[in-house]
Amino acid sequence: MEQEVVEAEIVLPTHLSFKRIQMYEKYPKSQSRSRHWKHLKQILQAENYQNYPPDEPTYVNIESPPSMHPCKRICDVTGYEAPYYDPRTNLRYANAEVFKLIRSLPNDYVQRYLALRNAAVVLK
Amino acid sequence: MPFISRIQRQSDYNLFPSTVPIVIDNGASYFRIGWAGETNPRVIFRNIVQRPRHKTTGETVTIVGDHDPALLKYFDCTRSGPRSAFDSNVVYQFEIMEYILDFGFDRLGANGSEIDHPVLITECVCNPVQSRSKMAELLFETYGVPSVAFGVDAAFSYKYNQHLGVCDKEGLAICPGFTTTHVIPFIEGEPVYGGSCRTNIGGYHITDYLKQLISLKYPHHMARFTWEKVEDLKMEHCYIAPDYALEARLFQKGAKEAEDKTRCWQLPWIPPPVEEPPSEEEIARKAAIKEKQGQRLREMAEAKRSSRINELENELHGLEFLLEQLEQVEEDDIPSFLSATGYLSKQEIESALLKVTQSLRKAKGEPKDDQAESEEKTDPSTNEKFPLVNIPDNMLTPEQLKEKRRQLFLKTTSEGRQRAKQKRSESELERERKNQQDEENRLYGENPELYLEQLRVKYKEISEKVEQRKRLKTNGNHTNGNNMSGSVGRGERLSAAQRERMRLLTTAAFDRGKGEDTFGARDEDWQLYKLMSKDNDDDDDGPDQDEAELTRISSRLQEIDPTFVPSSELGTSQPVEVPRIRPLTKEDFKIVLGVERFRCPEILFHPNWIGVDQAGLDEMAGVSIRRLPSMGEGVEERLTSSIFMTGGSCLFPGIAERLEAGIRMIRPSGSLIKVVRAFDPVLDAWRGAAAYAIDPQFLTQTFSKTDYYEKGEDWLRRYQVKYSL
Repeated sequence: MEQEVVEAEIVLPTHLSFKRIQMYEKYPKSQSRSRHWKHLKQILQAENYQNYPPDEPTYVNIESPPSMHPCKRICDVTGYEAPYYDPRTNLRYANAEVFKLIRSLPNDYVQRYLALRNAAVVLK
Repeated sequence: MPFISRIQRQSDYNLFPSTVPIVIDNGASYFRIGWAGETNPRVIFRNIVQRPRHKTTGETVTIVGDHDPALLKYFDCTRSGPRSAFDSNVVYQFEIMEYILDFGFDRLGANGSEIDHPVLITECVCNPVQSRSKMAELLFETYGVPSVAFGVDAAFSYKYNQHLGVCDKEGLAICPGFTTTHVIPFIEGEPVYGGSCRTNIGGYHITDYLKQLISLKYPHHMARFTWEKVEDLKMEHCYIAPDYALEARLFQKGAKEAEDKTRCWQLPWIPPPVEEPPSEEEIARKAAIKEKQGQRLREMAEAKRSSRINELENELHGLEFLLEQLEQVEEDDIPSFLSATGYLSKQEIESALLKVTQSLRKAKGEPKDDQAESEEKTDPSTNEKFPLVNIPDNMLTPEQLKEKRRQLFLKTTSEGRQRAKQKRSESELERERKNQQDEENRLYGENPELYLEQLRVKYKEISEKVEQRKRLKTNGNHTNGNNMSGSVGRGERLSAAQRERMRLLTTAAFDRGKGEDTFGARDEDWQLYKLMSKDNDDDDDGPDQDEAELTRISSRLQEIDPTFVPSSELGTSQPVEVPRIRPLTKEDFKIVLGVERFRCPEILFHPNWIGVDQAGLDEMAGVSIRRLPSMGEGVEERLTSSIFMTGGSCLFPGIAERLEAGIRMIRPSGSLIKVVRAFDPVLDAWRGAAAYAIDPQFLTQTFSKTDYYEKGEDWLRRYQVKYSL
């Protein structure tokens, strides 16, 4: 290791005196590094929230409901108010200038603009 | 102001007795650790772990937090990016969490055999019990912590500011964090989680949105927009507009205020070296070289030609000599003489002689006599129709003679008819043209202005028509700038030839798609390709007429209108295509932030702009109040009169005013609304927790390892600290 790296101590030491079980003991190198954690979705499924009283606050039921306000539509490219919608690209646009632009955009850019609001075509 | 990590190792760890709790604010973006009772955390770093490989030794190392990028050059970070222990705002990867805690305790100066201090650590609202128990287990088993307490960061911040007098004991805490935004109502100084709500949007999403938007706007500089840089841009330039629509319209109109609000980021740009035009001498030298080369080529060609002429002349002499000799040879000896020369007959020698003379003439550059060709040029159609006319009489039978006479007669009459017809049509055309001319002259004489106008309109119409037809035919190659690869772009029609090809292909596909594929078995199948490869052939004479008319009108216009310029001289009516490659200028390296400045943080109020179908900040306050069990008007009034903002994303300028306006819309008119910001929205959670942990009553809120193992999961799930001690 280079001198300046050692001096800055940016590398976490493998052995730390204050730990009862060291990292290399808990996750030995020889062992297969299979996944030993769950995604949030799996964690929430394992919580069995359906067994709890309905008035008890849980991670799932404190989520906000969908908005009740009328949705404000903005131009996907410029951010101005967008009265128009292009059925070919599914992009919203503010004026003729932007329309010209979106019609000349290559498809992957169109998809990236759509992905910003989670409306892109996703092939599974 | 970008956040700065503080990671110096503390040296006074052993000065603290084991009763002093360690306080950890474990946020999704930053990890803060310090001692209870102090005003500032000792160590702060980004809550991320990287495990790169050292470039020279090849060993995998663990690097926690963000460091000087200059030091990271020794590591190969391409295979693993920075990783977080958080999914949304819940800790789920405890291996990463362990590295982070290791680093945190190490930098706090821990050096004993275990961490012999109670630990207060923050978690999210309604943390799933699995995550909470894993965290407790990690602290008890690995670090030997005697007792642990969990609390919510926003609540600690609220309590801290309540002590400072910023907010009341009843109020709403609005906490836009890194990955989520919470609204928690406080009643009697305690959070009521039953009335809280969470929208999965936060500072992370704002930075990501900004990063995506500017990389779409400036695709050439994508590599410059690192996460850290965009985060800095966000913190420095983003603000919340009082009214998004108004602000956007300001920019749309290009008003003066919008110009003032636009920020620019100039990327380093070095002008390319200017190429000096070549000097006179250089040009002269180059021309001389070129001339020399041309001379050499010419000489070579001349030499080749003369040698060929020489060769041919020799051959000619040889052949002539051969013929002379042949004359002198006896009849009987001819075959033997010929076999010696390699020719079969006299005719062959003569034909060879003829060939050589011809090529010699050609080589010498003499005009080829085309007498032979012109002789054969006769009218094939008349020959076909009247086959007997050109045959001498003495070669025909009497019946054929009769037939010949008939044909002769027919031929002369038909030719006469044709001549007359041609003459008639010509005179007719002439008359018509003359009439038109007269008419036009008359019109011109009567009202030159009107006539000129009409002519111009007509010219425009026809030229457009011709243009259109030309475009249809040759579409796809040069007409529009946007289909450069020759393919058909969005919103463009196929040209006539392309359409025809497409039709042929589809019919071929449909015809042959049914049974087995027998394409190519018959010879006619291959005709298809001939048809398909036909491009832009003129098979209708419509445009020719139009073009003729167009030239006529344009010549007429040129005659009488001095200002007229034919459109073809102006170039095509299409806008001139911008050259695709132009020298880059300083402007190309300027990143302009206009609407983005307030568009990105606006997603806090409109999460559906990035596809999150949940209520925004202002609406969440209403949802939260509605979710509370009804406690009378007075409570609601008191809640809205102390709306408290904390968390990193509430640092945007203008958010308080906007929030107040938004909440005013959903509350009854005249109700008291007061929005306050935390003393320090970023650090107050830790400060509140530190103040809380130093209270002597704090130990009653903690639980030990035995509690953890004996009381079971159900207890742990219900476990909740009391914030008012």
